[in-house]
Amino acid sequence: MSETPVLDQAVTNALRTLTPPGEPDVLAEVLNLFLDEVPPRITRLRNAWAAGNIEEVHRAAHSLKGSAGNIGARRLYGVCAQLDEKTKSGDLAGAAPLVDALGVEFGKVESEIRRLLAAG
Amino acid sequence: MVPLQVLVADDEAVSRTVVGAMLKKAGYAVIYATDGEQAWRTLDSEAPPALALLDWEMPGLQGPDVVRRIRKKEAQTPTYVILLTSRDSSADIVQGLRAGADDYVTKPANEDELIARVSVGARVVELQAALAERVRSLEEALANVRALQTLLPMCAYCKSIRNDQNYWEKVETYFTQHSNVSFTHSYCPNCYERFVRPELEALEGARAAQEKLRRG
Repeated sequence: MSETPVLDQAVTNALRTLTPPGEPDVLAEVLNLFLDEVPPRITRLRNAWAAGNIEEVHRAAHSLKGSAGNIGARRLYGVCAQLDEKTKSGDLAGAAPLVDALGVEFGKVESEIRRLLAAG
Repeated sequence: MVPLQVLVADDEAVSRTVVGAMLKKAGYAVIYATDGEQAWRTLDSEAPPALALLDWEMPGLQGPDVVRRIRKKEAQTPTYVILLTSRDSSADIVQGLRAGADDYVTKPANEDELIARVSVGARVVELQAALAERVRSLEEALANVRALQTLLPMCAYCKSIRNDQNYWEKVETYFTQHSNVSFTHSYCPNCYERFVRPELEALEGARAAQEKLRRG
């Protein structure tokens, strides 16, 4: 797991190449959307977990997995994928540490994104 | 050529933006929907997009629900639908295709694969449009043939034809209007003997008489 990058450069570079000539950087747009969109979804997931609403946890984990995958946030993606799997099968053993890990992994992605956006 | 219009429906802004940017780069015109209801309204409109990429899991109407609704509609050129899904079990995929999707792409989408699959869709859409156009022109031709198969009232003396509006028309006019036939006028040997030759002779006679008169 320690080998897995926080943000996969191959993915971020690919996103950069999607920018049409003379238009705003697609990578920056997508990363900003990620920063706006993900924290409320993590909160929703935590609340659902606290309320024991596993179906909602599953939905939130699944959609977070999608967003993380799109920007190449590989470690966050891994956590979401495991949580997605566990809440789908109903085998919740080991799910609690994953819920806690979400915030930590998002924090790492966020600082990586801020560094990347500042570098331009 | 006018770029094909593609609808991207996804409630996640990140995914929607990435997929939209991939499509725009490949030259497609992209429109967006942020949930299933909005996607359905766009697809149910007068001029729906040729292709649609629908996220499987959206709040409200999910991707497969939207597809089911589209397939209930009668359309001459139905929208080509690709489901976007992070589900990859074959049971899920079968379910999506059974709902009426044409294809599926797993998320996060790989640019090359996504564009390759969308261009397959574009080929199908263009083929369908060409076939629909062909059917339309054949139906038009068939309508003409049918018009000529009906019983035509014709005057026994002057050979005029009574048309649908109860007017008597010349044969030429009627057929020019009801078919692709056009006429070139000539005469048959019988009519040459009966009409043309006497007229030529009369003309000849008149000319000779005039000549004689001139000479005094």
